Amino acid sequence: MSSMLEFQNICKYFPGVKALDNISFKAYAGEVLAFLGENGAGKSTLLKVLNGDYQPTSGKYLLDGVEKHFQSPHQAIEEGISVIYQERQILLELSVAENIYLGRMPVNRFGFIDTQKANQMASRIIEDFGLPISPSTKVKDLSIAYQQMVEIMKAYSRENLKVICFDEPTASLSDSEIEALFKIIGKLKKEGKIIIYVSHRMEEIQRITDKVAIFKDGHYVTTVKTGEVPESEMIRMMVGRDLGDIYKNLDRNKEIGDVLLEVKDVSSDYVKKNSFVLRKGEVLGFSGLVGAGRTELMRAIIGADSLRSGEVILEGKKIQNRSPHEAMEHGIVLVPEDRKLQGILSNLDISDNINISMLDRNSNGLGFVDAKKEAKIAEEGIRNFKIKTPSAKKKIVELSGGNQQKCIVARWISTNPKVLILDEPTKGIDVGAKSEFYQMICEFAKQGLGVILISSELPEVMGLSDRIIVMRARQIVGEISGDEATESTLLSMGMIGEVKKA
Amino acid sequence: MNTKKKTGLHIDGDKLVLIAAIIVVFALFTSLNKNFLSITNMINILIAASLVGLVAVGHTYLIIAGQNDLSPGSLAAFSGVVAALLVSKGMPFLAAIVITIFCGAAVGYFNAFMVNKIHLEAFIATLVTQSIIRGFAYIICGGKPVSISNKTFLLIGKARILNIPVSVWIMIICIVVFGIVLAKTKFGRSVYAIGGSMDAARLAGLNPKRIITTCYVMMGILCSIGGIIFAARMNSGQPAANVNLEFDAITAVILGGVSFVGGVGNMGGTILGIILIQSFNTGLTMVNVPSFWQYVAKGGLLLFALTTDYIRKQKREKDLLAASMKNL
Repeated sequence: MSSMLEFQNICKYFPGVKALDNISFKAYAGEVLAFLGENGAGKSTLLKVLNGDYQPTSGKYLLDGVEKHFQSPHQAIEEGISVIYQERQILLELSVAENIYLGRMPVNRFGFIDTQKANQMASRIIEDFGLPISPSTKVKDLSIAYQQMVEIMKAYSRENLKVICFDEPTASLSDSEIEALFKIIGKLKKEGKIIIYVSHRMEEIQRITDKVAIFKDGHYVTTVKTGEVPESEMIRMMVGRDLGDIYKNLDRNKEIGDVLLEVKDVSSDYVKKNSFVLRKGEVLGFSGLVGAGRTELMRAIIGADSLRSGEVILEGKKIQNRSPHEAMEHGIVLVPEDRKLQGILSNLDISDNINISMLDRNSNGLGFVDAKKEAKIAEEGIRNFKIKTPSAKKKIVELSGGNQQKCIVARWISTNPKVLILDEPTKGIDVGAKSEFYQMICEFAKQGLGVILISSELPEVMGLSDRIIVMRARQIVGEISGDEATESTLLSMGMIGEVKKA
Repeated sequence: MNTKKKTGLHIDGDKLVLIAAIIVVFALFTSLNKNFLSITNMINILIAASLVGLVAVGHTYLIIAGQNDLSPGSLAAFSGVVAALLVSKGMPFLAAIVITIFCGAAVGYFNAFMVNKIHLEAFIATLVTQSIIRGFAYIICGGKPVSISNKTFLLIGKARILNIPVSVWIMIICIVVFGIVLAKTKFGRSVYAIGGSMDAARLAGLNPKRIITTCYVMMGILCSIGGIIFAARMNSGQPAANVNLEFDAITAVILGGVSFVGGVGNMGGTILGIILIQSFNTGLTMVNVPSFWQYVAKGGLLLFALTTDYIRKQKREKDLLAASMKNL
């Protein structure tokens, strides 16, 4: 029997938010169904309702016509529904086989765990998947992509697997890794699984999904057949407005000024010697593969990692950043890539998060913090960056990813920086918020800031940058102007390090 | 977080549970011994609480910052011995306490050094100090208590202002001052920030190592002050004193709502925690619970504290994630 998953009038309410409002639709076996929607549209919440992480406020879901009510993800897995998250849910210290059969390892007749048998069983699945890994390898020794594969195999190893959901699975994968993932999704599809694929990346949706379910502000809009409806139309349905070509319509800064920042032969334990310049009002893109050393170079510049050689010259003066604090004092600030661990302070509220770098300026000689000043800065941040929240006293973790990121940007802009370094600022952020960020970046450039934009999304770097620097293997391998850059030149520079100056 | 919440002077569900627990403890011991509720006994509880209270103030900062300290008992005993020795050798009282407090600060600095530079876990680093400092407490006095004859010194243990002993006043002042610092100042905010995420705080321009160092040094100073007061009350510096002091202080702080996950809690909770643990301890002695059984009871109370910490953590996560219809 081919299976079917049906949602009937699902509602899920959080304090102040209708995260899901009366969602009803069906998903069928042997189909890849994309969930498309802005952050906060309800895609992830719906997955969490489906796998028992959340209990719906009202409504129900049926698998093969039978109403289900999972109390926990574990129960959902037992009944054949697995969700693969962006953050790996596996145990790094265990082997591949142990992870796949976690909690149900085969035992021998003495009741001891039969590792050999587990390895045999696991290698059958690994073969099925066509992966070059051994079942006895510790998961921590695998790349992130393979770790994800282990999770998929774990779900797959359950004979009754019916539904498998992917929540932005490609966010931290390289192109070749994405290919491998797609192959496996194709295989699952052939075997008649129901596949749900949540992603913000249009190209991926076009390539591997059969249908697209569109969500907007907690509502289900409609399901369309992939390829039958143009991208722009789908985006219009999910944001309620026509984004058109978001890059072309950007109001870019045209007046690029003098040299602002000069980096000369800077190296650290993590990057080789690198030099570049950044001008006032310029957006300088940094392209390259994940692990090319872009983040590490910036960390060296702001003093998060110590310099091994080289110098940093700001407005003609040599400066020393021995810590991010000193960099901030000089006016060089970084919005880190890992928002959850390096950006937000999850235990504090929005106001505290915005004001944390202003503590020195917001407090008097005795160290007392001026609550009024803080409130004002928080209000300004919320207003200027259109942070969606009823109050500055809300915990930052209650916000969507895009709004959390806006708080981090607000934090730095309030310090009045000269150089703003953005490390993958739109990672995991929906299309609507992305275009807001793009406008913001152009605005910063117009105000005379020098903006460094690290991004793995090629259209993003090309669409926003005046110049693009490409890094490979911890070193700058080339530079190209934003107008001349094409995806293929950037890729070939990033992958083979060929310096193709046009 | 509004200001009231930061100082912890508001009453929320967690605090109500704590107040209820205090009432239960009071009712229980009063029913077993009428004298429990007498003014004299209340003051006795406060006197006994003064040392634990000072250490608990330090633990409030350290545990919010994601740290811990197991050396206070040893350090308090060591400080008592040092102060008593210096005075007995003829040093003026004031000079003696300044030197003692300086030693306490140095021990705190050493703890911070191990955590910051050798990257040891706070738990293990301060266990090292616990042993070393206890050893030195015995070594410097040859293992024998050092009696105190200096009048000013003894006065600290005996003098009263408004019928409240000086030692209690010192604890109250420390709690108020450090409570305000935690709630209202740049430093306090930084402590919460590094407890939330050390990496994020550093990238946001804070200096986590310096903040951690300050917390440990503060704790060292508080332990020394506590040790001096205790010695004054005992008329001697005793190298074997204050064993398990940190145990009571940590129990009080966790009961009060500071969490081992870091970044959570406030001084208001610690105050209630101190009251609860000290009335519990004093009560056990008053109703003649054998000291061996007191250990068991104290362990039980710490288990209770940790369980409430766990439940609170679950509740915090639930509050954040789970559904609520009330705003819709």
